[in-house]
Amino acid sequence: MMIQDFAAFSAVREAGLAKLLPGKPRIAVGMGTCGSGNGAEAVYHAFSSEIDARGLAVQLVPVGCFGFCAEEPLVNVWVPGHPLLMLHRVQPNHVDGILNGLGHGHLPPPEIVLCKIEEWDHLAGHVKYGTGYPDVPNWNEVPFFDGQVKIVLRNCGLINPDDIEEYIAIGGYQALYKVLIDQNPAGVIEQIKASKLRGRGGAGFLTGNKWEFLAKAAGPEKYLVCNADEGDPGAYMNRNEIESDPHSLLEGMMIAGYVTGAPKGIIYVRAEYPLAVLRLERAIEQARAYGVLGDNVLGRGFKFDIETVEGAGAFVCGEETALIASLESHAGRPRSRPPFPAQKGLYGKPTNINNVETWYNVAPIVSKGPAWFTEIGSAKSAGTKVFSLVGKIRNSGLVEMPLGTPLAKFIYDIGGGGTGGRDIKAVQTGGPSGGCIPVEMFETPVDYETLVQLGSIMGSGGMVVMDEDNCMVDVARYFIEFTHSESCGKCIPCRVGLDKALQKLNGFTLGTASQEDLAALDELCRMVRDTSLCGLGQSAPNPVLTSLRHFRHEFEDHILAKRCRAGVCEDLALSPCENSCPLHMNIPRFLELYKEGRIEDAFLSVILDNPLPASTGRVCQHPCDNRCRRAALDEAVNTRDVHRRIADEVLLSDKFDTMVDRVLERRQEPTGHKVAIVGAGPTGLTCAYYLALLGHGVTVYDSRPEAGGMLRYALPEYRLPKAVLDKEIELIERLGVKFEFNVNVGDELTLNDVGQHHDAVFLAIGTWKEAWVYLPGTELTGVIPALPFLEAMSRGEEVPVGKNVVVIGGGNAAIDSARSARRLGADVTVVYRRERKDMPAIPEEVEAAEHEGAKVVYLAAPHRILGDKNGQVRAIEVVRTKLGEFDTSGRRRPVPTDEVIRIACDTVILAVGEKVDPDFCAASGLTIKEAGTLEVDRYSLETSRERFYAGGDLITGASNVSNAMGIGKKAARNIDKRLMAEERFASLMPAFGYLMEVPETPGESGRHVPAEMPAAKRVQSYAEVSLGLTAAAALEETTRCLRCDVRSVER
Amino acid sequence: MTAGLVTAPPRSEDRDLIDRIIGEQAGHTGALLGILAKLQDHNRDKYLPMETLEYVAKRTGIPESQVYSVATFFALFNLDPQGKHTVAICRGTACHTRGSRALLERVKLQLGMQETGDGADKVALTTPDRRFTIRTVACFGQCALAPVVEIDHSIRGHVKEQALIREVEALRRERVR
Repeated sequence: MMIQDFAAFSAVREAGLAKLLPGKPRIAVGMGTCGSGNGAEAVYHAFSSEIDARGLAVQLVPVGCFGFCAEEPLVNVWVPGHPLLMLHRVQPNHVDGILNGLGHGHLPPPEIVLCKIEEWDHLAGHVKYGTGYPDVPNWNEVPFFDGQVKIVLRNCGLINPDDIEEYIAIGGYQALYKVLIDQNPAGVIEQIKASKLRGRGGAGFLTGNKWEFLAKAAGPEKYLVCNADEGDPGAYMNRNEIESDPHSLLEGMMIAGYVTGAPKGIIYVRAEYPLAVLRLERAIEQARAYGVLGDNVLGRGFKFDIETVEGAGAFVCGEETALIASLESHAGRPRSRPPFPAQKGLYGKPTNINNVETWYNVAPIVSKGPAWFTEIGSAKSAGTKVFSLVGKIRNSGLVEMPLGTPLAKFIYDIGGGGTGGRDIKAVQTGGPSGGCIPVEMFETPVDYETLVQLGSIMGSGGMVVMDEDNCMVDVARYFIEFTHSESCGKCIPCRVGLDKALQKLNGFTLGTASQEDLAALDELCRMVRDTSLCGLGQSAPNPVLTSLRHFRHEFEDHILAKRCRAGVCEDLALSPCENSCPLHMNIPRFLELYKEGRIEDAFLSVILDNPLPASTGRVCQHPCDNRCRRAALDEAVNTRDVHRRIADEVLLSDKFDTMVDRVLERRQEPTGHKVAIVGAGPTGLTCAYYLALLGHGVTVYDSRPEAGGMLRYALPEYRLPKAVLDKEIELIERLGVKFEFNVNVGDELTLNDVGQHHDAVFLAIGTWKEAWVYLPGTELTGVIPALPFLEAMSRGEEVPVGKNVVVIGGGNAAIDSARSARRLGADVTVVYRRERKDMPAIPEEVEAAEHEGAKVVYLAAPHRILGDKNGQVRAIEVVRTKLGEFDTSGRRRPVPTDEVIRIACDTVILAVGEKVDPDFCAASGLTIKEAGTLEVDRYSLETSRERFYAGGDLITGASNVSNAMGIGKKAARNIDKRLMAEERFASLMPAFGYLMEVPETPGESGRHVPAEMPAAKRVQSYAEVSLGLTAAAALEETTRCLRCDVRSVER
Repeated sequence: MTAGLVTAPPRSEDRDLIDRIIGEQAGHTGALLGILAKLQDHNRDKYLPMETLEYVAKRTGIPESQVYSVATFFALFNLDPQGKHTVAICRGTACHTRGSRALLERVKLQLGMQETGDGADKVALTTPDRRFTIRTVACFGQCALAPVVEIDHSIRGHVKEQALIREVEALRRERVR
């Protein structure tokens, strides 16, 4: 029906409203491409057949996408008189339940109910659905939507995109009508100018000004073009906008057509968006049929038509002059500007090109006026922008926020933080023209200018979140690879420059690059940026330049240490497990050797990679599990328990002496150099071990009577039997390492003394100072710090622990204290201020504590400790916390509430953190970092004093055993290289000669875990809880390894 | 540039088809893009043979060099016969972050194509027996489903390596008719 007057328009509007709010239930299934990709079509068909089969009076329509893509399929259910109910993750098997519920006024099952909408502002119109469902949150109470302002996305996911009547029902084409009736084109242009609307494609040019240029240009042949060639990888908001609400685009272009005098609009859509093309073409057909497009738009004598053109897969055609070239049937190569398209564009005629999203803002500004628009957003950037929040983020989807919203809000509040427990490292904005912004800068508000200051751009609005598993060198390489392959080839800086840049970046990922390459890459990138013909070349270097600026240390790791910490650059690692192991143990090798039944070779392999394999086999936090590729099939290989088994089989048997001899065979000739090590903990022991193997004379000083550090004096017996540790230390002693116990370096023996008698000194005194909590009541009797408590337990001394113990903290020291207190017969409650998943303690240990009867209270922080009249602890008051904003550790900060809980107790153990001894550091004269740890060179581990090195917790702060040992191993390697002026480390390892083949049929069993002593028995003794793997289980475990270290396959 | 054609002209049925499509696109902006896209779609092996390009040039009056330039410039146009099945791996940023490179390498390995290609990630390779074409797409715009693979025009989301291998293997085992 052709709309030629207002009466007809109103009639169509009424008809549309009758569909949107029918007198019967309406079910709307989100059928955008991502809905379909998640199974929406099956859901739609299920509804369709069920409704038919039951003969129900229910209206079923397809709608677009509401934006929460990670939760698709989304389904709206509306029963007259009630709010619109939005369901998520709907599957065909939910259909029965939903339809049943309709008839009886029951809500669908809670796990699929997302939120409700009681009324909706479509900006040019208003829809009231109904009130009710008090227990269901409003749409903007869902964290993903909290703060979103839907201007561009005002209709998406709510109306049927294939029905022009629904569009008109919610106020569509009213702005156009108004413009045509007012007959004041200049006035409308002023409105657009006053709104300060800027191009949403990324360049941010003032739209009103562009329109004015076109209006002033000589006609009659003028063109309007919509750039829907959304090529930025990671950005798909334009696709959703067109698929869900094509008419808003048409209306925007038509308004512009009228006010600028352009009779023709062209929409250039990517060929990769077939559904968008289809919806657009249908919308255009309907608009023509209704007289909204054509020779007499809405009966107002205005002539305008729109044509769609499909692109053919060239990213560069997103650049306006390249786009115009391809519209003229040429290859999409950019042209010099000036002349600008407004003067000489398509076919040499005045042309205005705007991005899809810019067009979507036009009708609202006309309807509600520019002042309304400028009230949203920031001073220079009015309005909202749609962002695609994707990558390593929990809540993935399209987010529309006012310009000026900080990145942290997107990532943590709306996005819900990282996935899989990983720390977020950076967010990449602006596509291949943008850059990576590190987590430390997430407070930055997002608009056109602010991101440019950090070296990135807002661009089309893509936000790709990256975590610790992403390598920034690889990301830089990825983007150059992309822009290089999309380069049109016309100008040398881009065509040749990006090729060279890619070659350089390849070198980094292969481990062949040098410092000179870093400087050359920087210079090359700047040249390409400054001399390329078009935006593609000019912005292509941005990802590299920003990565060099914000993540330089990752590039340096690749060059200087030849390591990729994220584990992405496979040529820099033996296997993912080896790369993640702080000691870089050759895990596939010892698994294979054990599999081949060669226990002695397996032990030798293990012991030469890791001098404390039995200890770490019990207490390591096993980062290898997180990287094991076997996990993609079922579960990670239990490497830790296998090397524990291998170590136990030798250390605790009569094979010990033979193996000590085999290790001694690897020892190099005496070098005549003497090295002093201060601290006989895992760091110092490891460094001593390797230096002794390399032939140096090593003396280790420690303030305590025996070696082992925290392994002996903090870790309890039931986790690590000291008999095991003793054997490992014995082996080290037999290598010739000398120990001087009960010596306090810094007191009776100064660092200068030590330095005088040795060629190098390695400091590894660890973090033994328990951090204190400053609360009322900590001076009472019964308040004890965790470390001294654990040390006293390890020495078998009396400990002043009562019957009712509260432990404050969430790390391993807290859990160890809790488990030890249980064995002393006390009731134990652990109080931690965050949630369980945030606890630093190893998860199995927390579980073990619970099995042994300890209670854990989460989200509670100590407030004050109360004493009796004898000054003895009688209770502790803790304050409930709730989680507030995210901090840069990626965890929410606990914020105290008013709720206070009192727990009766007679002992309080404080385990809130261990710190470096500040007195030692101050007295040493060495440079200290702000955190209180010693500062060392990142690669050599040398301190500010020549020949003095440092490692372990002393430089990192409280960490864990394997990290500490890894540093000790690295220190030994560096010290040896310095003293001997050559790299000798590799010669310690013999060639083993074992099968280098990927198993045709890897072991099919699931992961083996060691048996444990039954929980009830455990608290009655200090016997070891974990019983280790049996030989059979360990053997089977080795067959599960997929041999990621094997690179080439002979076929 | 010689006056004569280098290849044999298309057969008459094909000429009729080309003429019809050229007629449909007449007057449209960006007509050549539409013509080539439709011709490729009608072609059994989903490509644009040289004789087709030459004929299009002749019938539209667009210089052969320009037609060739457009056909070679845009990634969508194939100048070689395509495989019966197409496996398209998305190499967009979100998909890359979620491991699509490994998927690409794995499929290449599975189909014996690991040595081909110049080491760049942008790929359009067809197996010698023409059963499979492996290609990459810069971005499908399905980022919430990362990593994305399209197999014969059907988009798969959250693709795991094992699932991909199984599906490709199933296609490989299909009897060749």
